[in-house]
Amino acid sequence: MGAQNYLASQAQYEAAIQENRNQIASNSNWQMVEHSIMLPPQPLMTLVNGVSNDIGRNIAMSSRGELRAENTRFNDEPIFAIFRFMDLEFIFGIILSLFAIIFAYDAINGEKVSGTLKLCFANSVSRASFIGGKLAGSFVGLGLALMIPMLIGSALLPILGIQLTADEWIRLGLILIAGLAYFGLFLALAIAISASTSKPSSAFLIGLVVWIFAVLIIPRASVLISGRLVEVVNVDEITAQKNRYRIQLFDEDRPKMADFKVPEETEIEDVMALFSSFMSELSTTRQEKIDLFNERLNEEFRNRRRAQENVALSISRLSPTSVFTLASTELAGTSLKLQNNFMDKAYAYQESYSDFMTEKTGSTRSGGFRMIMITTEDGEEPELLNPDELPQFEFTSEKASVSAANSIIDLGLLVLFNLLFFGSAFVAFLKYDLR
Amino acid sequence: MLSLLIQKELKNILLSPKFAATFLVCSVLILISVYIGINEYNNAVVQYNVNQEIARQDIMQATSWGRVRNILHREPNPMQIFVSGLHFDVGRLSTVSDFDDIKLVRSPYSDETLFAIFRVIDFSFIVQIVLSLFAILFTYDAINGERENGTLKLAFSNSVSRAKYLIAKFTGIWLGLIVPLLIPILIGLLLLMVFKVPMATGDWSSIISFIGLSILYITLFIGIGILVSAITRNSSLSFLLLLVIWIGGVFIVPRLGVMAAGQLIPVESVAQLEAKQEAFRKARWDQYSTELTQVWQSREQEMEGMSDAERQEYRDNKEWNWLEEDDVSRKQVQSDIIGNNRRLLEEAQNKKRVQERLAFNIARISPVSSYQLAAMKLAGTDIDLKIRYEETMRAYKDEFTDYIVKKQDVEGGHGGFSINIDSETGVQIDFGRNDQTLDTSEMPQYSAPTIKSANAFASSIPDFGLLTIFIILAFGGSFLSFLRYDMR
Repeated sequence: MGAQNYLASQAQYEAAIQENRNQIASNSNWQMVEHSIMLPPQPLMTLVNGVSNDIGRNIAMSSRGELRAENTRFNDEPIFAIFRFMDLEFIFGIILSLFAIIFAYDAINGEKVSGTLKLCFANSVSRASFIGGKLAGSFVGLGLALMIPMLIGSALLPILGIQLTADEWIRLGLILIAGLAYFGLFLALAIAISASTSKPSSAFLIGLVVWIFAVLIIPRASVLISGRLVEVVNVDEITAQKNRYRIQLFDEDRPKMADFKVPEETEIEDVMALFSSFMSELSTTRQEKIDLFNERLNEEFRNRRRAQENVALSISRLSPTSVFTLASTELAGTSLKLQNNFMDKAYAYQESYSDFMTEKTGSTRSGGFRMIMITTEDGEEPELLNPDELPQFEFTSEKASVSAANSIIDLGLLVLFNLLFFGSAFVAFLKYDLR
Repeated sequence: MLSLLIQKELKNILLSPKFAATFLVCSVLILISVYIGINEYNNAVVQYNVNQEIARQDIMQATSWGRVRNILHREPNPMQIFVSGLHFDVGRLSTVSDFDDIKLVRSPYSDETLFAIFRVIDFSFIVQIVLSLFAILFTYDAINGERENGTLKLAFSNSVSRAKYLIAKFTGIWLGLIVPLLIPILIGLLLLMVFKVPMATGDWSSIISFIGLSILYITLFIGIGILVSAITRNSSLSFLLLLVIWIGGVFIVPRLGVMAAGQLIPVESVAQLEAKQEAFRKARWDQYSTELTQVWQSREQEMEGMSDAERQEYRDNKEWNWLEEDDVSRKQVQSDIIGNNRRLLEEAQNKKRVQERLAFNIARISPVSSYQLAAMKLAGTDIDLKIRYEETMRAYKDEFTDYIVKKQDVEGGHGGFSINIDSETGVQIDFGRNDQTLDTSEMPQYSAPTIKSANAFASSIPDFGLLTIFIILAFGGSFLSFLRYDMR
């Protein structure tokens, strides 16, 4: 399913790029070009969605000024937002963790109820080796059972026409390992609960309540609590401030524009050139001020928001589910950083685009107004543009090693949770009443 | 005898530790979700009001009518407290101006991606996932559990018919599950009043039908639980079976339905659509400028052979007409572009609608989808939310641009520049008027689309019907299999 979904969005992406190129090619003047860049879909994005469906995918390029990503997948196609997609993160996070509890909730007390526990200890078996065997046995058994479909699924990817790079294979491998660790910790948790209760039915109930809290409640609650703790200014307020500043500057420039004069005896053709260089000079100084102002606002806003995110994510890490979510999205490149990463790349691209435009048209385009030149002479048939001349936008996510390093805390936490639950299962069983 | 059996069943449920745990979890969850929902809603209202104010001020500060653009916001809806539906996924605002098409952008999730990672938890989510799971937990051993204990034989040593026994069983479980559920729900509704959430009467009736829908949904899961427990002999087997049904119904079928429809009927992306619109716009403007060139050439030809003075006079006489003519053809271009944009959009929307219909029909194999779809319809956060808003905004845009044009005619100021180059007078640039603030008192006001709760209810009737059919099937099935049940 993920594969098909990827191919579909790849097709959409290519069609959109093609339309953009056609549109550019129909122009005869670089000044008239409206270029937009797109976030290319990546195979791992469809395996672990993260926020990739919630962030804007298209940016209308301009040589200067602020860029804004628009057209989120879920806004474009709300049909998918209703039930969302089924990705690896979902399968591990919700379904397999529930399975782990169902498999293991009666691991110890179930044997007690059926009487096999006493029978077992009639042999010379130490408690430690019994619980160790139980933990290891169920982990290896179920883990292997999980590995097989996962490996088959991974092997299917190239057959379905999805080529992963070596880097992506490493990421996928790490995601699957994180998934196994996550599954293991729920298994250990269920065994620990089973070892500290005497009836399977109550063990199952406790397991279920823990599962509901870990999977459904803690992650969501943490976000809401952090929203309370760290106030972040409303995004619209910031946009409005920027707009107002821009309008103010423009109005300050109005008198200057009205004073624009050309020296006598200038050729008509030169007037346009003079005018546009005058305008572009004005708008360049204006833009510099705006950029400075915006940067300050954005910086402040980003810092606050980052603080909020850090609080939220730290609280949510109480739940292993969100630890797994964070680790897998980080590894798949669909974490919260994806948005910033895309925007950074877009701004970097903006520079080369702006250079290109300056080279082609002699000035950066101030945008926003349409010039219609009416000449009374017959013009030659204008030459159409070649979109290949445009610099290409390339989106690359971080190296796998970088992502791995970033997710090391979460991977470590997963291991820690594992050890903790294994340990508590162990301790609880040592004190278990076998009767 | 019937009432005795019901009493027994009720006691059985109410006194079990299972009940204490589920009741506690449900109450906490429901109250938290309502409380959070109310907070979110209040924040949204504050934000909405601030934004409206900002938009109004921006208009007043614009110095000429030609440069006015309005920003319309999606109005928060108190029903989103219970069913957030697509509220967080659909754009919040759209600019309205002469040259931009209406487009809802900036969904709440894209603005605050932090919330998008874990998503929100609302009442419909709790019913859909948690309560259905609990319904299964209470019913998976309804019949076969009693057989295993031997109490089934005991009960039938009295003179009781099988049908009666099953009815008593169902009534007992139903009362034991639904009545305690109503307590946190009622407290939640009370919270709405305490926090003074502005609810219209239509909203209340939507909420009541929504609660009815939720009860129907839970009843269905009780029915399925009893059915499976009447088919199988071991309670462990029935539990496993029910869990598979639950995961399939709640998580897998709805998603698969939508994804399958996405594969079967591909629609073009918005980016693609926009590029097409852009291409047409370009072509149309190019055509306009060649036309204009020709027009001017012919005008020049008319003046061929005149002396300079005649030429000047001729020009002065005709100038106004020429400008009018140009203006008319320019407006024609604009309306052509808008017409083409809307045509393309409509085509895309029609295709999308076909896709949606297919997707929902496949998804409705699982009653969970029926529940979700009906709940969203009742709350007004359904799939048509976006289209509804965009359509009313488009209507508003026409009104708004008419108003602007009228104002411009009266007060002047086109907002653009006009550059006159003349070999005698040199270059003159006109930047339009530079007024102070604009008087916006007569500006048309946008009102958000409202759906009557009766209409919302009417459109969700098929889903209500489907749920009822599923319930009848489940009960019929359990009757049939219980009548032939081997009690030993």
